[in-house]
Amino acid sequence: MLRIGSSSVRRVVGVVGAALVALGATTLVVAVLEDRLGVSNAAATYLLAVVAMAVAFGIPAAVGTAVGSFLLYDFVFVHPTGALIVADPEEWLNLLLLLALGVVVGQLAGLQRARAEAALLRERQALAQYRIGRALATGLSAVGALPEIVQLLQSEGMARRAWIALGTGASPERVVADGGGEGAPEVGASHNRLRREAGDEPAAWVRVHDPRQATPGVPDAGMECYRVPIVSGGADRGSVWIARRRAAGRPGRGETRVLAAAADQIGQALERDRLAEEATTAEVARRSEAAKTALLDSVSHDLRTPLASIRAAAGSLMDPALDLEPAARRERAAVIDREAERLNRLVANLLDMSRIEAGDLRARLEPFALEDLVETTLERMADLLAGHPVTVTMRADLPPVEVDPVFIDQVLTNLLENAARYAPLDAPIRVRAEQVAERTIRLTVEDGGPGVPAAALAGLFEKFSRGPRSGEGSRRGAGIGLAVVRGFVEAMGGSVAARSGELGGLAVDVDLRAAPLPREAGR
Amino acid sequence: MTPEPAPGALILLVEDDAEMRREVATFIGLHGFRVVEAGDVATALAQWGAQRPDLVILDLGLPDADGSVVIRRVRRDAATPIVVLSVRDREDAKVAALEQGADDFVTKPFGAAELLARLRAVLRRAAGPAADPGGLIRLGALEVDVARHQVTVHGRPVHLTPREFEVLKVLVAHAGRLVTHGRLLRAVWGTAYADEAHYVHVYVSQIRRKVAAVDPAGELARLIVAEPGVGYRVRLPEPD
Repeated sequence: MLRIGSSSVRRVVGVVGAALVALGATTLVVAVLEDRLGVSNAAATYLLAVVAMAVAFGIPAAVGTAVGSFLLYDFVFVHPTGALIVADPEEWLNLLLLLALGVVVGQLAGLQRARAEAALLRERQALAQYRIGRALATGLSAVGALPEIVQLLQSEGMARRAWIALGTGASPERVVADGGGEGAPEVGASHNRLRREAGDEPAAWVRVHDPRQATPGVPDAGMECYRVPIVSGGADRGSVWIARRRAAGRPGRGETRVLAAAADQIGQALERDRLAEEATTAEVARRSEAAKTALLDSVSHDLRTPLASIRAAAGSLMDPALDLEPAARRERAAVIDREAERLNRLVANLLDMSRIEAGDLRARLEPFALEDLVETTLERMADLLAGHPVTVTMRADLPPVEVDPVFIDQVLTNLLENAARYAPLDAPIRVRAEQVAERTIRLTVEDGGPGVPAAALAGLFEKFSRGPRSGEGSRRGAGIGLAVVRGFVEAMGGSVAARSGELGGLAVDVDLRAAPLPREAGR
Repeated sequence: MTPEPAPGALILLVEDDAEMRREVATFIGLHGFRVVEAGDVATALAQWGAQRPDLVILDLGLPDADGSVVIRRVRRDAATPIVVLSVRDREDAKVAALEQGADDFVTKPFGAAELLARLRAVLRRAAGPAADPGGLIRLGALEVDVARHQVTVHGRPVHLTPREFEVLKVLVAHAGRLVTHGRLLRAVWGTAYADEAHYVHVYVSQIRRKVAAVDPAGELARLIVAEPGVGYRVRLPEPD
């Protein structure tokens, strides 16, 4: 309190000093005018000093200067000089006019100054309010804009320290933005809370005893804390806090308005973020629902198609009225066998997909000659590939690859099945391998089918993306075959990519790790 | 119909699914085999004791106990061939059954023709020793002279490294059976595997290439068949 008092004393001393200087200077001018230049009455010159003091320091300083002018002129210039006695009644009139004019002019000039000051303050506060709103509107999130807001509140001089704490009523507030100072902000057992009435103003500061808001530290006795609750959607979301010197008094109306507006805008922004988050969650749920539906569509289609063929063939075989030739009977049986095998591959892919998604794939990598792996799979799939000329091109000195034999078998099976499914009958299928880097061998399976539009290539390995291949047959085929390919290849430390092949159809590149050659086997 | 290598051979079929058991029994019965059926381990062990079949077809998933109980019991008594029925993704179970003494496996769901081919192969192998008294193993055009470490195809020599020869010898000596990687490794490298043991697949690949080089007609192209994740099988030539 003492320090604060001494500062206002300093201010009074400064004003008095300025008044004395102004009066002294004016007295000199008047002396020159009256004694040297013969002006009979230059008392009005003192009004200049009064106006100057009014503009610089306000009404009290102006009135004081006017009284000072009255006394000084009387003492220095009015006969008998050197005393506050006025002999001539005309001089009395002059002196009283000087005093009255001085007081009125000083008041007018001081009022003008006060208005200008108030306008400036309002403008600054309006600007602060605008910048707070802008920070919230342009920031990525409300919380992200809070540090800027506390800096704004502090720079406006209304607070020594400003901070914003968030919390939803039940849980304690957590400081998310702090304008500075050492350590965490300190709040005592009591603070001032802005109580807001329905409608706009007047909001009032009330001192409340609220130990819940108290912080562990001992607050500075010279500081007072002010809190504006942030309310949105009818719930407490946190508070805007400021700490200011006790001597500075409560925040003025303009300051209160800025603080209240800041709290309101933060509340709205938080609500906006919450709604946006809810909308995003809903969108994610909707998309995953859509993916599930696509999965069910795809799987039920792929399961039912072979089942339908099997039941149709079995029906023909069972029908007593249908006395089939032996060749026709064998043909029906072959249909059943082939479609059952197709079902088996689909079930295998579904099981593999669930293993991939569960993340419990452990590749047992061993060095293999790629040619052998390809031959093994081709032999097993000979029936399915019967309608397509298959060529295998790879150098005899290609280094072995480090793969899990079961995974790579399924990868090749799916790639070949995919190629055979989409390539029209007699369209070629080509399997190639080459070393593209010291430790990378690229295996490519491509077909002479219609291919995949460039835009769809990237999404081809997504689960249940049934490639929008052009031409008929685009509805057929398991949508998970290529997803399984990617899962297995990545589990083996490799990568897959799809592109348009030289045969005109789809080409899938599988990059596998090369294994160093053993000493003896290289011979 | 082709003549059976072991006409009238008695097969013990152990399978808990009645529908499946009936189908298989009917099918192999039509191909000239005699069949005794069992739906669980207890019945299977009783039938094994009472009938001493020539071959056992064994489903590993049985209601009362694990099918491996039957494998151990049969192996304790005899060298009777065992063909295991197993589902996919159970490579570990297949390897375990083979290491316990099963001769081969067929993955469910299987085609009838595949099962029949497998049964005939293991029965042929069981019919007699693969090598003649002079230590010469013949598989079609392939001749492996165990004593002199020489391999010929159509009488033309195949130059194998010592390791490759060992690998081929083990595979050929077990022709008609499935040899697991583990068994192959132990037979060629012993229990303390050298670094190259890791490369068993690459050795097999080299053998295939060298054999193919002197076999332009491709008669032996499918001599060694890989079962991914389980092992290798050398095919016995079909009887003429």
